[in-house]
Amino acid sequence: MTRRRRGAAWHVWLACLFACALPAQALSLELHADQAGLDATEAARDLAVRTFVVQRLPAKWSDALGDVRVEWRDDLPADVHGRAFDGRILLRRSLLREPDERPARAALVHELAHLYDRDDSGDLSRDPRLLDLAGWQDAPLRPWRTGNHFTDRTPDPYELKSPREYVAVNLEHYLLDDDYACRRPALARYFDDRFEQPRATTECPPEFPFIQAAEDASDPLLELDPARVYAVDYLLAEGNERPMSRWGHSMLRLVVCAPGRPTGPDCRLDLAWHEVLSFRAFVDDVQVSSWRGLTGSYPSRLFLLPLTQVVDEYTKVELRGLRSIPLRLQPDEIATLLQRAAQLHWSYDGRYYFIGNNCAVETARLLHDGVERLRAVHLMSITPTGLLRRLEDAGVADTTVLDDRPEAVRTGYYFPPFNARYQAMFEIARDALELPQRNVQDWLALPPTQRATVFGEADLRASAALLLLEEAGLRRLELEARDILKHRLSSPARDQAQAVLAIQDTLTRPSRFAPDGYGLPQSGELAAIDDDARELADRLRDQRSELMVRARKLLPAPARRDLEAAEANVSALGQRLRTLHEASGGLYLN
Amino acid sequence: MRASIALPGLLTIILALFAAPAAASSFAGTSAGSSAAGSSASSGSTSGDDKIVRQARDDAASFVASDGAIRGAMLEAALHHLRESRPDLRTRSDLQLAQAILARQ
Repeated sequence: MTRRRRGAAWHVWLACLFACALPAQALSLELHADQAGLDATEAARDLAVRTFVVQRLPAKWSDALGDVRVEWRDDLPADVHGRAFDGRILLRRSLLREPDERPARAALVHELAHLYDRDDSGDLSRDPRLLDLAGWQDAPLRPWRTGNHFTDRTPDPYELKSPREYVAVNLEHYLLDDDYACRRPALARYFDDRFEQPRATTECPPEFPFIQAAEDASDPLLELDPARVYAVDYLLAEGNERPMSRWGHSMLRLVVCAPGRPTGPDCRLDLAWHEVLSFRAFVDDVQVSSWRGLTGSYPSRLFLLPLTQVVDEYTKVELRGLRSIPLRLQPDEIATLLQRAAQLHWSYDGRYYFIGNNCAVETARLLHDGVERLRAVHLMSITPTGLLRRLEDAGVADTTVLDDRPEAVRTGYYFPPFNARYQAMFEIARDALELPQRNVQDWLALPPTQRATVFGEADLRASAALLLLEEAGLRRLELEARDILKHRLSSPARDQAQAVLAIQDTLTRPSRFAPDGYGLPQSGELAAIDDDARELADRLRDQRSELMVRARKLLPAPARRDLEAAEANVSALGQRLRTLHEASGGLYLN
Repeated sequence: MRASIALPGLLTIILALFAAPAAASSFAGTSAGSSAAGSSASSGSTSGDDKIVRQARDDAASFVASDGAIRGAMLEAALHHLRESRPDLRTRSDLQLAQAILARQ
């Protein structure tokens, strides 16, 4: 709730006027109060609050302030808790009558923070580092910073009003909350550095929580321990000719080690545990609109996805290759990068602009803000390949892993698009079965039932090739069915689909699970988040499969027949492979 | 007025039907991914073991079909994993293991 309002301009102006008239500053803070007019309870509360706050203030902060006089007033505007002038703080008197000291302490720290921030030795709110961490970010092609889109899980939305208010609100929580350093670790460290004095706080758990946007996740909450992340790669999806994907897509791959494996190069092949950090526009419409993309109507959020899902999606569905280029980062840099990613994941709800705020810009920022060494490097680029070049020039990205292509494919540095593989599969099947078709397109253009007529002749190799082709054919039919359905969805199915969408939207905006706390969710919140996320994931799976059944019935008969025939083909080939395998006395895994 | 205009979001509904959005690249209207039958069709929780082997199925198929010429990372990961967790499989060849992966239910 926004409860404070302070006219910034006029009191800054007034402060200047006062500053000229005041004597030299005292060495340390003397916090006086005008107790006239306070009753005994209020006076006791006032003294307790002042004593508490003075004791908590870091030396550098209190040294900068000198004499400050506190006045408890009844004449502040209705929604204002306090005001700060040079050497003088006005606070709402009713704060002294609250059930506990907290609101009065917070108001006092807030105003003291303004005084410190205005002082030359403070001046936090104009520090580029503070602005980066807070979320007023650098943008390409223009000199001014973005608006602050870290709107989720904020301790007080008032902090987003301006960098000055951000500093004051955060210093309140930095001084008064024991878990601030766990909720906003990077900011806590920043303040510690600026005050040259670490604030003793409770130990934070090493893991960072994420809600995984996995297709089939049954437990979406993932607590990621940076010590289990062996490396971070720049993951580049190659472009294709479609306008929205011409420039490629920038992501980061987290090389997470399988449970029980010591962190080391062997983790490279633990693909099932690797994760991908990807900024995506959440699109509520399949027809991605260039106009909406240019004008920023799509929200941009940071998703965590399983690598295997991302690889399937790009190489098999989109037929685009993925390059995974290791970044030379130290373990502590990986930890701060993950911490920043978690912060974005829970708080950031940005706007996607195809040029000014796309995946390359967002990824460059994440690296810049999350890795101290990279702050000195100019990474900002509006294209994914441009960002890669900059990382390479800075000696951070190691593209030599791609030099030996077959080796890169085998070890997971390059995931080739599947179209070449489909053609190769077709040629294997064609040679074995003397198929008359010239290429894979011609083969897949046949009705599924006609393709099935050759299955009986296929040996193990040809059956394996045909299986991959049938999967490709089925995927294509599913995409076609989707196009047909968009004109045919009946009203109950539409309602059901809306419900599915609502669940998906929640799963892609993690703060919805825990709207009350701020920053990174803490252990007290995680149990409830875990329960809710599991329940929602279960519901999503159930509703989606119901919807699939319903939607299938809405398809025109020929489309449905083809789809069913293609499914039957996949299962027939699976069976044939098992039969041939058994006949040849092959090995069994179970 | 066309349905897709009258009903904003309708196209996304279609997206939800098949979790393989056409615009999956940098746009996530759904929990995107390929839902086509085969290696990625099953859902729900599976043990790590199962998952690794299941995810290697397409790579295993291309490896078997190409007689070892096409060797993808998912297969490599599964071979690595199988030999690591099952000492009895260490003496088996890549092709034998790939065929076994492919022949699994």
